[in-house]
Amino acid sequence: MNWRLRVVHTTGYRYATAVTQSYNEARLTPRHDDRQNLMVARLETVPATRAYKYTDYWGTEVNSFDLHTPHTELKVIAASVVETTDQTAPSVDATWSQLKSPEVLDAYAEYLEWTSYVPKHRELAAIARSLRKGRTPQETVLAVSERVHDMLTYQRGTTGVHSSAVDAWQAGEGVCQDYAHLTLAMLRAVDVPARYVSGYLHTKPDAAVGETVVGESHAWVEAWTGEWWGFDPTNDIPIGHRHVWVATGRDYGDVSPLKGIYSGGAATAIEVTVDMTRLA
Amino acid sequence: MSPRQLFDGYLDPRRPHAGAYDEMFDPVDGVRTAYKRLHDSLEPLQPADLTTRAEALDRALVDQGITFSLSGEERPFPLDLVPRVITAAEWSRLERGVVQRVRALEAFLADIYGDQQIVEDGVLPRRLITSCEHFHRQAAGIAPPNGVRIHVAGIDVVRDEQGDFRVLEDNLRSPSGVSYVMENRRTMARVFPDLFAKHRVRAVGDYAVHLLRALRAAAPASATDPNVVVLTPGVYNSAYFEHSLLARQMGVELVEGRDLFARNNVIYLRTTEGEQRVDVIYRRIDDEFLDPVHFLPDSALGVAGMVNAARSGNVVIANAIGNGVGDDKLIYTYLPEILKYYLGETPLLPNVDTYRCWLPAEQTEVLDRLDELVTKPVEGSGGYGIVFGPDASPKELQAQRRRIKANPRGWIAQPVVQLSTVPTKVGERLQPRHVDLRPFAVNDGDDVFVLPGGLTRVAIPEGSLIVNSSQGGGSKDTWVLAPRASDEDAELRGPGLGTATVKQDGASTPERGPELNVAQQQQQQ
Repeated sequence: MNWRLRVVHTTGYRYATAVTQSYNEARLTPRHDDRQNLMVARLETVPATRAYKYTDYWGTEVNSFDLHTPHTELKVIAASVVETTDQTAPSVDATWSQLKSPEVLDAYAEYLEWTSYVPKHRELAAIARSLRKGRTPQETVLAVSERVHDMLTYQRGTTGVHSSAVDAWQAGEGVCQDYAHLTLAMLRAVDVPARYVSGYLHTKPDAAVGETVVGESHAWVEAWTGEWWGFDPTNDIPIGHRHVWVATGRDYGDVSPLKGIYSGGAATAIEVTVDMTRLA
Repeated sequence: MSPRQLFDGYLDPRRPHAGAYDEMFDPVDGVRTAYKRLHDSLEPLQPADLTTRAEALDRALVDQGITFSLSGEERPFPLDLVPRVITAAEWSRLERGVVQRVRALEAFLADIYGDQQIVEDGVLPRRLITSCEHFHRQAAGIAPPNGVRIHVAGIDVVRDEQGDFRVLEDNLRSPSGVSYVMENRRTMARVFPDLFAKHRVRAVGDYAVHLLRALRAAAPASATDPNVVVLTPGVYNSAYFEHSLLARQMGVELVEGRDLFARNNVIYLRTTEGEQRVDVIYRRIDDEFLDPVHFLPDSALGVAGMVNAARSGNVVIANAIGNGVGDDKLIYTYLPEILKYYLGETPLLPNVDTYRCWLPAEQTEVLDRLDELVTKPVEGSGGYGIVFGPDASPKELQAQRRRIKANPRGWIAQPVVQLSTVPTKVGERLQPRHVDLRPFAVNDGDDVFVLPGGLTRVAIPEGSLIVNSSQGGGSKDTWVLAPRASDEDAELRGPGLGTATVKQDGASTPERGPELNVAQQQQQQ
């Protein structure tokens, strides 16, 4: 199925006292690949700023901007139109020994590393190894995603931005970020290169053209089993036309949608809204 | 008293590391040519003379305020009174080797923060780069205007048992110590004018001129009269003395992070006359503290927005961000491949033989021979974390074995290199003590200038091979002799000592000295 989607993502901060200086980076621009065609993207801020764009190490488009006049609220609005289609099932399925080859280990080393969000954990590794038995790497990715989906209960606000895969696993609940990190931790434990994907999810499969729904800022994973392909462990579904991807990296830290440094009072996140409209 | 007393028992065959190359004495032929005059001047001295001279040296150092912090405590950085001598021919070989290395490492860094062609071509494993703690992905895509990333390099070399120079490590981040080179020379010239009168020693006082020229050449093309600043972490940093000396000699502002700010990717200096645009930042702050937006968010030493200001080409950070990937001690072992790939050359200066613990076969050998090898952390500097197998207890070796197995990427091992020795004042006599050498190279984009000599560090305890000042070492004035035929820049040459001293003081008067020189040279070009 092919969709054309408009995404309007509003995020930002409210400050307890006026902020006089703030430096920010936004990673909010959808990418372009054979499943997704970016038609137009625009980033606005209130107060207005002059954005500087660059492409980072991971290939993500970054908008960097700074403010120097006192303000108590910063609003960032990222709007884009993308065409999406369903991901075709991966055509190759590498063998376990291929994944262990020096070439693969070298080429995808960054996606096999442990990070603070995706730490090494003995019990998680044991679960992952048990799931690997009798399965190909590709089947294992699905089995692990499914298991993560069962292990966690989706619960908004239970985990913070800094929670690791293990934190979420021990709590038994989390948000999409936690589902993704936990899946990565288990896949990397059995030497399947795996990366974090940030993006958006349109929440209504049968949306009519022209209908605006409340979408979600979302995260899922991609694994390399002969080629990169994605899966959505939070919803236990394949990547389809409702998924819009923005960035990939080793974990959330490489793709955080909005980060910054400011001088002034305590900041609270303003209500994040993602409006998604099916245009075609 | 016998006139030979100072050197009595000098080449005692029972001394530790007797196989080391002594730079003054050849075991068969006696005094080497380079040291002939120095030896002849020292030999007639009485022990009491030596002590008097040493005291004069210490007083001069304290007067000049040269101290170095050792585990947080300020103490004079001991300067030994016997200089180290390098002949014109030896220097020319060493200089070419250093220049070659800097050029190759420049190409390497440009590639690593660009397309990574060397990895694409399979010459180096990708994992070698991505696993390096100082490979900073934040720097990917930052292209400095004149292509230079290594504005200043300190290449640590040692002389092996044959007297051949070998590179022990590269320092491409914020190599320090050049202030000691200049100050040691100033002090020696005051205390030993007679020695300088008998030698043609190449001058080191114009380092700041070369540094300023390189920093100005690095500026964005839009800067017609580039504004250069020196960024220091502050007075509590152990090298603050050097930061302030270099700023003064270059005649540029010495600033801390809070003096600067970024607006729309331009860096400004806050001054009493308002904002002043900054074009080049010679920073002596580690990458991790440079910009809280991209590195440690709670760092107050740096400037928020600096990384993207550099990315947009509005400011140049010297040395560049992420240079640590070029001086990682594991990547160092691949220098022959790097040289061949970028320059098509073989190393003029060999490395010290090194085992890589991250390669299973080499790790096995290292673990088997742990008691005879020196193991070093790949990221280390200042001598911290180094384990000398022959000196370590079985317990220490066991702990080291565990550390290596837990983090093979983090360790390399080398045979104990018996660093060369130079006579050094110990008590009332001269004794062989081990030395290394850190020549300083400055790259202005056209030429790589190597300051003649460099910092010779000397291990004071008998038999010690650890020369770092942070481990209680001292230093020596390093003399590069001018070629016989040349008349160039010899120290204290000219009508007399008085004139030369004035010239040296001139070099440290920032308002007029070096900057004027640069302006004049640029007009002539």
